[in-house]
Amino acid sequence: MKGLVIWIMTEEGSDESVLDRLGAEIGDRGGRVEVFHSQAVESLGMEENHEAKAVACAMLASHGVVVIASGSGNSGIAASEKLEIREVTEKEMRDAEYRTTFMRDLELAGLVPPPRYDVHPDEEKEILKKLQDLGYLDD
Amino acid sequence: MLVPPHGGRLVDRQFEGREAREIIDEVSECRMLTLNAREKNDLEMIGNGAMSPLEGFMCGRDYRSVVDLMHLASGPVWSLPVVFSVKEGDPEVSPGDHVGLRDPEGNIWGDMRVEEVFEADLENEADRTLGTCDISHPGVAYLRSLSGRYIGGKVRSIRRRETESFPNYRLDPKETRVLFRARGWNTAVAFQTRNPIHRAHEYIQKCAMEIVDGLLLHPLVGETKEGDIPAETRMRCYEEILKDYYPSTRVAMSVFPAAMRYAGPREAVFHALLRKNYGCSHFIVGRDHAGVGDFYGTYDAQLIFDTLDPDQLGIVPLRFEHAFYCRKCGGMATSKTCAHDSSQHVFLAGRKVRAMLREGVMPPPEFTRPEIARILMDEARKGDDR
Repeated sequence: MKGLVIWIMTEEGSDESVLDRLGAEIGDRGGRVEVFHSQAVESLGMEENHEAKAVACAMLASHGVVVIASGSGNSGIAASEKLEIREVTEKEMRDAEYRTTFMRDLELAGLVPPPRYDVHPDEEKEILKKLQDLGYLDD
Repeated sequence: MLVPPHGGRLVDRQFEGREAREIIDEVSECRMLTLNAREKNDLEMIGNGAMSPLEGFMCGRDYRSVVDLMHLASGPVWSLPVVFSVKEGDPEVSPGDHVGLRDPEGNIWGDMRVEEVFEADLENEADRTLGTCDISHPGVAYLRSLSGRYIGGKVRSIRRRETESFPNYRLDPKETRVLFRARGWNTAVAFQTRNPIHRAHEYIQKCAMEIVDGLLLHPLVGETKEGDIPAETRMRCYEEILKDYYPSTRVAMSVFPAAMRYAGPREAVFHALLRKNYGCSHFIVGRDHAGVGDFYGTYDAQLIFDTLDPDQLGIVPLRFEHAFYCRKCGGMATSKTCAHDSSQHVFLAGRKVRAMLREGVMPPPEFTRPEIARILMDEARKGDDR
């Protein structure tokens, strides 16, 4: 799978919960995902540095990982053969409808895996009952 | 594990019961647009996920990309436009409008959030998707009947079980997927048909069954052209033959509520993609699939698959030659498997078979099983009475 950087443009003082939620959703689907928190830059021995963060994200993503990071403006990362970049605002990502469409576009582009099941397990039970009633399956 | 749906997930925009009533209430104050028969079929199939990843009628970007490049703008292979046409007498709508979708009798079948109203290039659409602009082609005649303006936007469809034909055979893609899993099938082959079953069909279905776990018989029951055998008759034929000639645990029959477009090669791809959404890993493509008259070459509908990336397609076309009974072989065969000349082959043209049935003459059992011939003769007599 081609790598992807999802770069969320945040406002000053915002937390990074939106990154974690997105990371969890992609991880649940079986995607290789790394949430690159601001803290990580410091842990790497660097001061908060937008450019350094972007470079690190691009390097990770070029190995087929979905990297989620945030910054106060555009990432400055250029798309290449090995990686795609999607830049969105935090406000957009907090909008459930927008997020659904955003994820769907990534799925269709083959950048994130689709959900693990094609029919929700709860619905599957009802369908099995219907199939028995119609005679497709034995009781 | 079953083949994944096209685009990764099954779209589910079909509502019934309380949710359907809420949609009807919501749109009762909205402007209403009229669905023609094809659009009504399409709405149902978008709603139930058969047309995944489509979530509505196409906007201009997808329309142009599909017509010219056979791909949706977002990437996946898609071979035919699925569009909603502006009708005379319908109200003007603009992007952002919420509209109801009703049939000419006034029954509400869903709604749409209008995203775009755009001009269609119908000549280009006919040329690219049907391969002709000849008005005698039913698909071209259909396009010529349209206004030339399309409305795109996401839809929700309402299911009205009480009005459905073949209620015991209506399985949505998620239902066939659950069925296949429950039967332990990892692979399934779909057989599309708008004709009654003859021995040649039975032969290729059974050849296909040898290499997969199960067979989905999927007769098309949406709109067809005048002169095609009615869906009720075709279903009777299948019910009859399934009783005695197929292992019940390895076959499932369900109806395919699509309208025929008679688009030959492009429609073969379209039919395959939709069957992938039903959970099928393989799709039978015979002679002149979805063809009409002499518009397409006998094997054009098979050759088109060579132009597509198999990984992007995600369903395997099983290509079959014309099958026949060979007296010398003593069984069904095709030119791939039979060494004998045509004098040994039992083959009847459709026109001749129809004439025999009308006259009450039983076609040879090597061509049609007697149980099927009796149903078709009965239908032919009824047709004459009508």
